[in-house]
Amino acid sequence: MQSTIFVITLVLMAVVGWLFWRAVSAVNGKPAGTNINKRRTQLIWGMVIAGVLISVGSMREWPYAGASEKPVVVNVVGGQWWWEIDKESLPLHTEIEFRVTSEDVNHGMGIFNEDLQLLAQVQGMPGYVNKLYYTFDKPGTYQVLCLEFCGVAHHDMINEFEVVAAE
Amino acid sequence: MMEQTYPYKPQAGAVKLTMLLGGVVFLLMMVFGLALRATQGGLFEIDPAIFYQIMTAHGAGMVGSAALTGAAIMWYFVGRYVNLNAAIYWVFLGLFLIGVALILGSIFYGEFGGGWTFLFPLPAISGGAWDVEAAVAFCFGYLFIGVGFLLIYLDMGYRIAINYDGFLGGLGWRFAWSGNQELAPPPTIIAAASVIVFNSIGIVFGAMVLVASIINLLFPSFVVDPLMAKNAIYFFGHVFINATIYMAVVAVYEIIPEYTGKPWKTTRVFALAWVAIVIFVQAVYFHHLLQDAVMPDWALALGQIVSYASGIPLMAVTTFSLCVYVKGSGLKWDLTSSLLVLGVAGWTLGSIPATIDGMVAVNRLMHNTQWVPGHFHTYLLLGEVAMAFGFSAWLVRGKEQGIRSGLERFAFLSYALGGAGFVLVFLWSGASSIPRRWAIHLESWQFQDRIGTFFAAVAILGSLLIVSRYTLRLMRKGEE
Repeated sequence: MQSTIFVITLVLMAVVGWLFWRAVSAVNGKPAGTNINKRRTQLIWGMVIAGVLISVGSMREWPYAGASEKPVVVNVVGGQWWWEIDKESLPLHTEIEFRVTSEDVNHGMGIFNEDLQLLAQVQGMPGYVNKLYYTFDKPGTYQVLCLEFCGVAHHDMINEFEVVAAE
Repeated sequence: MMEQTYPYKPQAGAVKLTMLLGGVVFLLMMVFGLALRATQGGLFEIDPAIFYQIMTAHGAGMVGSAALTGAAIMWYFVGRYVNLNAAIYWVFLGLFLIGVALILGSIFYGEFGGGWTFLFPLPAISGGAWDVEAAVAFCFGYLFIGVGFLLIYLDMGYRIAINYDGFLGGLGWRFAWSGNQELAPPPTIIAAASVIVFNSIGIVFGAMVLVASIINLLFPSFVVDPLMAKNAIYFFGHVFINATIYMAVVAVYEIIPEYTGKPWKTTRVFALAWVAIVIFVQAVYFHHLLQDAVMPDWALALGQIVSYASGIPLMAVTTFSLCVYVKGSGLKWDLTSSLLVLGVAGWTLGSIPATIDGMVAVNRLMHNTQWVPGHFHTYLLLGEVAMAFGFSAWLVRGKEQGIRSGLERFAFLSYALGGAGFVLVFLWSGASSIPRRWAIHLESWQFQDRIGTFFAAVAILGSLLIVSRYTLRLMRKGEE
């Protein structure tokens, strides 16, 4: 997924960069024509329409709500500089509801797979419980890394859990 | 080149000194950044506590220098249209320097390493890394700087209101509403008035949370709601850092016409774009809180929608207009024009990964990875800083305007290509799920860190040449 996002970003940057370069490098070319305001209006409306489509399309699936009526609940507490996870082993193909909080400062619970690819994340904040829903589709060892800067040993804040096939 | 007359002559002395200070601090902070990347790449070792102190200095120093140079640019060009009070500018500069001294003292003497965002309650809960006094000094440093900004904004806002039939007149809202060209203020005045509105509100929110943090530090029984504090900090942080670019872009409005021979016009679209900017820049900060699931759903959705919408005035008005003005204009490329055009390009291109990161579905995978420094370095290093360097080069311009020497060409290319490589490696690293703000990196991440370090060094070489050229010319002009 991240690779796709990266490629799309690079393509968009390249297209916009090329259009920009084409215009500003033509300092000795023909000046912009009289229809330029019409083209600007078209660009504005094009961006507005694209924005509506992208917004509706990308937010139809709302990740802050769980899909299952009975998810497996896992309580996670962050502290300087440790993670406490109340289950060591989680079931495969079952929606997990992580309930994440902190007992001191803000932390960020990032779930990484064995290839160290980030799968999902949520903030752990003192006084609040943030919920993160995720369904694992591969068994293995998953790591929890802190993604919110939380002090001098922020980079040491790592824990792990197993995902196993349900019995 | 177009020569235009203005009602007033800007006061250049204080601004030239400010740009020198800004340039030197930019350079120093770049070296700090290089040290951070090199440490992550395992090229040398820094104790994590010191790493996070340098990281805090780098963040606060860069944001501060961007704000300082942006304010200097805006103050200089607003001074063409209204009679500004130089004494207030010196007070602003003095307060800024007091703030810098407090911040540097808190970091390098008090060992404060809580990040430039001072995310509550981290300043008070350091796990023994720094004392309360250091955190208090850091917060007071920000307050001094904030008070200085409010002072020059008050002066500029007052003068604009007097000269443009009230502050709404200066904002260009009457013109935007009626379309009556007689009511149209110059682009610089519209931009300045708009920045004064949103950045003053941002600074007030920042001051509120800073004061609350200071009271909490001194009297821990005074508790602040962490979610409310987070909202206030990100509102302030987002508005303040964006204001740096919106202030600096005034240099593009004022200097590029000297090269193209066409004045930057106040059109109705331009005025409406600034109305949108005033609203969007304040409403968009929710995209910093997309991983705080306890936030209301409407706020998270708004974060994504406004994040996208913010790109419309940038791309369809500022960037589009620059392209139209430059195309076929006969513009001559020298250091000033190259850097100013680069500044708009960097700002525009950086908004693309930023907007993508502002999407709910993407943010879950990219938030707080190196994708984030990837996009903000694009629109700051290659955006605001490029505009500030371009303005500095223009300040010390000679008769050879429109000509670029071999060394200047090398400096520009080194800065632009080094910067581009540097930010692209950050984006690549973000897509590789490498966290941001980690003092120690896994071996598997270090290949990218080292490439990033190389590009950072190339960009710093270009910056060094640009700042040295400015300094030498400033000294030569001082002797004349």
